Amino acid sequence: MNWTDAMHFVRGPLFSAALLFFIFGMLYRLVTVIALGWKRDHAPAKSSKVVGGVLNVLRSAIIFPFVPRIREAANRNPITYLAGGIFHVGLFVVVMLGAAHVLAWESVLGFRWPTLPLPIIDFFAAISIIALIVLFYNRLSNPVLRLLTRTPDYINLLVVFLPFLTGFFMTHRLLLPYERIYTIHVLTVDILLIWIPLSRISHFMFYFITKPRHGARFAQRGAKP
Amino acid sequence: MATNGKIRETALNTYIKEVGGAVAAQLEACTRCGICAEACHFYLATGKPEYTPIWKVELVKRLYEQRFTPLGRLKVALGLAKPVSEAELREWVEYDYHACTMCQRCSLVCPMGIQIGDLIHMARSGLQAAGLTPEDLQQALDNQLEIGSPLGVDDDTFDERMEWIQEDWEVDLPIDKPGAEALLVFSSIEIMKFPDNIAAIAKILDAGGIRWTMSREAREATNFGLYAGSDELETFIAQRVIGPAKRMGVKRVIVSECGHAYDSLRFRIASLMGETLPFEIVHITEVIGELLDSGRIKIKPGVLDEKVTFHDACKIQRRGGNFDQPRQVLKQLAGDQFVEMTPNREEAFCCGGGGGVIATKAADTVRRAAFTVKIDQVQKTGAKKVAMTCSNCRLQFLDCVDHFALDWEVLGIAQLVADNLVK
Amino acid sequence: MFQNKDDTVYEVLQKRGVSRRDFLKIATITTAVLGLEYTQVGRVIAQLETKPRVPVIWLHFQDCTGCSEAITRSFNPGLASLILNDVSLDYHETLMAAAGHQAEAAKKAIMDANAGSYVLVVEGSIPTGFGMTSIGGRAADDILKEAAAGALAIIAVGNCATFGGIPAAKPNPTNAHGVWDLVKDKPIINVAGCPPIPEVMTNTIAHILVLGTLPELDALNRPKMFYAQTVHDRCVRRGFYDAGLFANSFGDDGYKAGYCLFKLGCKGPTTYNACASLKWNEGTSWPVQAGHPCLGCSEPGFWDAGGFYQGQSALIDVPGLTAAAGAAAVGIAAGVGTAAANAASKHRAEQATPSQVPADDKEKKS
Repeated sequence: MNWTDAMHFVRGPLFSAALLFFIFGMLYRLVTVIALGWKRDHAPAKSSKVVGGVLNVLRSAIIFPFVPRIREAANRNPITYLAGGIFHVGLFVVVMLGAAHVLAWESVLGFRWPTLPLPIIDFFAAISIIALIVLFYNRLSNPVLRLLTRTPDYINLLVVFLPFLTGFFMTHRLLLPYERIYTIHVLTVDILLIWIPLSRISHFMFYFITKPRHGARFAQRGAKP
Repeated sequence: MATNGKIRETALNTYIKEVGGAVAAQLEACTRCGICAEACHFYLATGKPEYTPIWKVELVKRLYEQRFTPLGRLKVALGLAKPVSEAELREWVEYDYHACTMCQRCSLVCPMGIQIGDLIHMARSGLQAAGLTPEDLQQALDNQLEIGSPLGVDDDTFDERMEWIQEDWEVDLPIDKPGAEALLVFSSIEIMKFPDNIAAIAKILDAGGIRWTMSREAREATNFGLYAGSDELETFIAQRVIGPAKRMGVKRVIVSECGHAYDSLRFRIASLMGETLPFEIVHITEVIGELLDSGRIKIKPGVLDEKVTFHDACKIQRRGGNFDQPRQVLKQLAGDQFVEMTPNREEAFCCGGGGGVIATKAADTVRRAAFTVKIDQVQKTGAKKVAMTCSNCRLQFLDCVDHFALDWEVLGIAQLVADNLVK
Repeated sequence: MFQNKDDTVYEVLQKRGVSRRDFLKIATITTAVLGLEYTQVGRVIAQLETKPRVPVIWLHFQDCTGCSEAITRSFNPGLASLILNDVSLDYHETLMAAAGHQAEAAKKAIMDANAGSYVLVVEGSIPTGFGMTSIGGRAADDILKEAAAGALAIIAVGNCATFGGIPAAKPNPTNAHGVWDLVKDKPIINVAGCPPIPEVMTNTIAHILVLGTLPELDALNRPKMFYAQTVHDRCVRRGFYDAGLFANSFGDDGYKAGYCLFKLGCKGPTTYNACASLKWNEGTSWPVQAGHPCLGCSEPGFWDAGGFYQGQSALIDVPGLTAAAGAAAVGIAAGVGTAAANAASKHRAEQATPSQVPADDKEKKS
């Protein structure tokens, strides 16, 4: 198998399989969690739980990445807060607004949207890579994180780091000829797709349960979530 | 109580029983970012990584993974998983009972919105069922189950205390008065340690023209079932208030200055019982707010000429939403002399005595250490008077003021209102 | 055609009436064309004067003759085509006059006479399926192997001969292959493209004919001097790519403004070829300059690498809705199954945890 065939394999059958596994795994996780049962809440609410939940998700998406909910707590661990925030913003910009990625999305979804110029994408990719390295260092050095972190957490970092790194190398023509690094880049994405349902990277799915719930609970109790 | 060999089994079975969709979703959502540590006064005061809020539910998380997730089950099958041991359960008693007041401050900084306080409550449930509850907390719970009061307020004591209060404070305390619209319930701390609070609340309600009563049967709102972490016992104990209240046909149950009782009755019990209650449950602070707003009571403006600050209690303010009424009172009484701590309202630091911590002797050191965070906050305001709406906080403040030899005056809002009513 | 096998290039040219002066000119141009320094002219002259000319045999299999069509339109070097067409090309099914058994016999004679020293050029992919293409009753792969056995080197021209091309595209009914899949024991140079740029073909052949050595090759056996860089790297529209200025559809404002064709499916970033630098038709233009995205014709399997108008980063073989729904259904079913097991273990746990409510109170309450 030459590199071009490998490229067609990772962009083709392997990607297909990874995507199907991703769909299977995420739904499996979601169903098992939801099916564990939910208690009905009978306590009268002080303010609308639905509004609280929705507002909280919106605020978390638009405000909290830049202005922490409790500034004083974020200030005490700025690395986690900043690097985590920067990484997620970078991830969104690179994956959703990069021209090549939009074409990939289009091939899956069937429609496309406007994109950003390469130097901007490149900037976000670079800061995301730095953020991931900082987060890794943070896990090694912060005593709380050292206690909390287990091997899978390091694998998570690595599995997310590799697509960023190979993507960056690819656009800068570093290390390997284009089609090889491109093949490796898509391969790392395939691995990521398979790893997500098996790991805590799937937090983004449960976010849409826990975050609105947090908002609803605080709204129910008449407090600002 | 479980016997020795069954400790582990009982604890784990309780966890398995308690895992629901909400718990699972929150355990799954955690990315182990560790930022919750920075919100926790116990961690901040001690710097002990084990006091990181999410670490306090580590055993629950591990058990959940091993019993409910495919990868966890695979690890168990391959012998790679570390089972939860009895030694670990015993170790976690410290993290869950000594070093957490379930104040939910951490849930505000959690990027995923995980209700870590609730999860720790669940972590307690297994330890409690297995009989690992700290000795004095368990004793208080047993007292409450047997006598009806953790502080030993039996029928005779209750009658004596009430008579004494009526005489010394010259108030009328109606007990089991028929036709009352509101049932007033107290915490045992108030009955035994802050009798003036009872008198104060009685004065306010009278001044407001509320037809209220106390009840011999439903005299205590205190709920050590909640502290210990047992939903079953919490419901059982709360029935002592809910049952009589239903029979008396009152429109409201007014909870006195007691944080956890308000949390339990107002927000938890209806769901635990699986029914909607036929009356509303309000905190005395809410009643004061209503009376002031409607002009049924008036307080003397500007009587406090010294700086005064307000401590937000976790259960009444952050978890109860009663932020504005006490501030309204203090602004009227103190005007410009009322100063806010930073951070305040939802973001306020807990006193460190809630969640049954103050009832646990073994936790004294961490409890007082946690209070140093509060000392910093108060000292930055320059105020020597601290007001609050929770007797539990007040107990913690008084203990620590004494312990750290602080020259503060610790005030209850109800008492401030009662003392300064315009007749 | 069919010259004396021991003649040198110079001798052949002399017989055709080329003067010494013109010969020296030709040698100088050849030097330039091969990318050699001016000081190497002497070496080229010596080669052309002394070394016997190298005969070329050109075989066709499953092809459209487009590569031959292209090479006859080679403009530069005129010399290389001169060498190829007039000096060396001994057998070419399209160009030669002979036909039938006579031609086959002639080919056999040339191969025998020049065993081990002729260059074999192959155009078209080789069907290996049973009963597929045969010439004079002989199977294609048989013919190839016979010709390859005595060759000095093999030059595969066009995507079909190199990587299988259209005949090998899915489902590949003739089980077609490129030369290098079938011949393992000879040096093979892949001059890829559909067709290859004429100058790339002639220059590669001239390199062997004149210098007697193989050019340096990349991992896919393509001459590095032409295939070292991607079309994207040298593209005239590259600046627009970097600036994020794209044509979104044929004929839109971006297209008219000459913006990057990446979103119209350009495969430039993964395609190694010299189109952007050498261009076509005497340097007039090339596909991307003319407004069409690169198809990636110099790469293996370019017919099966997703749609021509689908981006180079697009995924090939995205699961359809049915497959996705199937995976979702299986996930949900498995989840429901696990949920049942979870519920059962929760129930067991509930049974195993005794009630803590004092017994007498319990009776009183209930």
